[in-house]
Amino acid sequence: MLVYILRRLLLWIPAVFLVLLGVYALAFYGAGDPIKLIFLRSPGDVAFDPARIEAIRESAGLNQPFLVQFWNYIWNVLHGNFGNSLLSGRSVWRSISAAAPVSMQIGLLAIAITALVAIPLGVLAALRQNTALDYAILGTALFLWAVPPYVAGPLLMVLLLVVFPQADMSYGWGGLLDARIILPLLVISFHPIALIVRQTRAAVIEVLSEDFVRTARAKGLPAHKIVLRHVLRPVLTPVVTQLGLIMITLVNGAIFVELVFGLPGLGRLTIQSLLNSDYPIILAVTLIASVLVMVSNLLVDLAYPLLDPRAAARRST
Amino acid sequence: MTKGRKQGGMNRRAVLKGGAGLFAGASLYGLMARGAFAQEQVLKIANGGFDMDWSPLRGGGRILRWQSFWWATPMYFDSEGELHPYVVTSWTPNEDMSAWTFKLDPSATFSDGSKITAADLKGSWELAAMPSSRHVRINQVLSGVQGYDEVVGGAAKEMPGIVAQDEETLVVTLKGPDPIFFMRIANELVPVLKPSEARDENGEEVLEWFAPDMGGVSSGPFKLVEMNLDDGFLAFEPNENFFGKKPQLTRVEIRSVEDPVTATTLLQQGEYQAHTELVTSTVIDDLGPEFSTGPSIPTGQHFWFNVNSEPFNDVNVRKAFIMAVDRAAMMQASFPKGPHKQADQLLVAVPGVDPEFEPYPYDPAQAKELLAQSSYGGAERLPRIVMVGIGSPAQKAAAQFMVEQWRQNLGVSAVELLERQDNFAPADVHIFRDDIGTRVPDAVAFLAGGIRTGGGIASGKMNGYSNPEIDKLLDEAAALPVDDPQRDAKARQAQKLFRDDWGYIPWYYETMSRWALPNVSNMDKNLDWQVVNPWDVTIS
Repeated sequence: MLVYILRRLLLWIPAVFLVLLGVYALAFYGAGDPIKLIFLRSPGDVAFDPARIEAIRESAGLNQPFLVQFWNYIWNVLHGNFGNSLLSGRSVWRSISAAAPVSMQIGLLAIAITALVAIPLGVLAALRQNTALDYAILGTALFLWAVPPYVAGPLLMVLLLVVFPQADMSYGWGGLLDARIILPLLVISFHPIALIVRQTRAAVIEVLSEDFVRTARAKGLPAHKIVLRHVLRPVLTPVVTQLGLIMITLVNGAIFVELVFGLPGLGRLTIQSLLNSDYPIILAVTLIASVLVMVSNLLVDLAYPLLDPRAAARRST
Repeated sequence: MTKGRKQGGMNRRAVLKGGAGLFAGASLYGLMARGAFAQEQVLKIANGGFDMDWSPLRGGGRILRWQSFWWATPMYFDSEGELHPYVVTSWTPNEDMSAWTFKLDPSATFSDGSKITAADLKGSWELAAMPSSRHVRINQVLSGVQGYDEVVGGAAKEMPGIVAQDEETLVVTLKGPDPIFFMRIANELVPVLKPSEARDENGEEVLEWFAPDMGGVSSGPFKLVEMNLDDGFLAFEPNENFFGKKPQLTRVEIRSVEDPVTATTLLQQGEYQAHTELVTSTVIDDLGPEFSTGPSIPTGQHFWFNVNSEPFNDVNVRKAFIMAVDRAAMMQASFPKGPHKQADQLLVAVPGVDPEFEPYPYDPAQAKELLAQSSYGGAERLPRIVMVGIGSPAQKAAAQFMVEQWRQNLGVSAVELLERQDNFAPADVHIFRDDIGTRVPDAVAFLAGGIRTGGGIASGKMNGYSNPEIDKLLDEAAALPVDDPQRDAKARQAQKLFRDDWGYIPWYYETMSRWALPNVSNMDKNLDWQVVNPWDVTIS
């Protein structure tokens, strides 16, 4: 197991390097440097003075060739220095370390909610297949899937105020125990819940027709024990994979939800840095995202043998 | 035998008791009311972006709009365009207006109680001009000062043209005569800072020197007391050492609220009372007409042609595209309920507006004919037109209206609308939506900053537009005194020449909206996009 983990970790290094190289090149050659963009996007009374712009770029070290800048960046990262924002001058690490915990907390709680709500509903829908309850659960899942978060968020916010005019607006971050987190958590969970409900239902329906389930029934086991002991384990394998992928998306920051509800997470930071071509922050966020993908994949891989002993056997051979 | 109390009457003790009770009650009520009034004097502002850099040295952006709350300036304009002293109380030119002497208010102080001196002004301006400060508009203020080029190019850190003769006297020597130099410094582009705090030993800007945890001092009526940029939140409280009128507000809070729907809802709920710049096509319906009213300022929004790339390097194509648009209807489509006014000429809200300006006609038949006469012969051979700067709902409404007019009247159907430009490739962008304006109520400054060779519009939006006759007129006018009628006359001639080049589609004149709820008083703004008297703002 340890060798397996070490081998995976070693494979990360070239992968992360390539990701950073690609993103740096895209930011450098694609969007252009942020100093020029400030002037390009300024209103019409701001003169586009190439000499002044060049002087500013030189003071920020942006006049260096691509490889020099990239190498300096990698060298600094290896020494724990993610650089400074090209626009605000603030430490990138400071910005990330303020935003990441918010996204982590929201993402992990949303995953927990998704798992606790969606898996039981999916199982229930499968057990009551083609009944009114099944249609109600599936229909709700379809509705939640169809409504984008940038529509659901503002609509729910306004609806809440119509129903409870005295209520405070659900805006800003006050921690996980603050009531303001309820609405954004709901909105952020809609799509994952819809996805997991449908996936769980499909997986349970498939497993219910397996021989071992028929055998368990024939043995006279109660229904709930059949579901918990025999059905859930094979069902959870693909569901856990899906949850891992969803977690990456949520922790990286649900951009629309953070914008609408004013949550100071990675999504909000990412969108601002992308719009302004602030590539030290873009690169730092990309690095975090890459590490998250790899950690998530590793955790899912490590969880498989616990759910499916056949996977452990395959790995050991 | 004792005297009994008169039946039904009140004795002296009862009256005194009652009076004492009344007095106590009234006092308590007064205290509570005052407390309630004081509590309510908290202005909460929704800022429409997640701004991570609140340095007053950038010369632009949303953060600039609130600078009058915490930074004083040498002088300032009110909403009528009248100039008022502030840190500087008098200004005197030499004979040919190539040098100006400014006298400071001896009572002017920073929020830490230290005196504001002429050396502070000198240091503030030099710091603003240095490349590392990334000030986007410093050329509008200091480009005429001796030594400016060396500082802005990074070769020097001091401008020899700015001399602090003593604590209260600043002498500025220019490269040449400039009759309106005193107006150029009357805005928040050059706020009064404390250089000893803001500059390091190399003369460069110290990161976030203004932050409360850095001991930052302000010069305006409020001082920054809380700053959490990761959360998009700033809070200000009255500057107890402010040398001007004491502020009425007890606190000002600014929070990032990027989504306009959220911001509108917060304002409707009354949780927030003001916005940095809320422009939606339904703002009048959502928040009432008073939210967006305000004075006209010398700024206009128009659509500018890239005159040095195909197809708009052909004047007949430009004429066709302009004449094919019913601009009155476009205005109705984009701002059906105001608050802005339709534009024709460039000049607005400055002395020198041309009362006899001939607007572009709406003539679809002639437009089609002109397109046929152009080098393209018609719409079929035109390249795809790319229009940039189309982001807000009103901009989209106007752009889509024009696209439909071009389709109907010219047969042009390939038009792409983009929100922002990410890389300046001149051949790739054909029409820019952008504003032209000035922070100085002067027609010459208005035009020189935009359409003169190298101006913001000419260089950045029209791909290097240049008309030597316009330059000549503006240069001649710039040397004339403010009260010389020839100054404005030459500006009008320059404007007419620009009109005859058919380089833009006029859209609207900017109304300097309050962007505040009706219960917020004294939120009038000026041509510098600033609240004129932040010390007078109250919430009822």
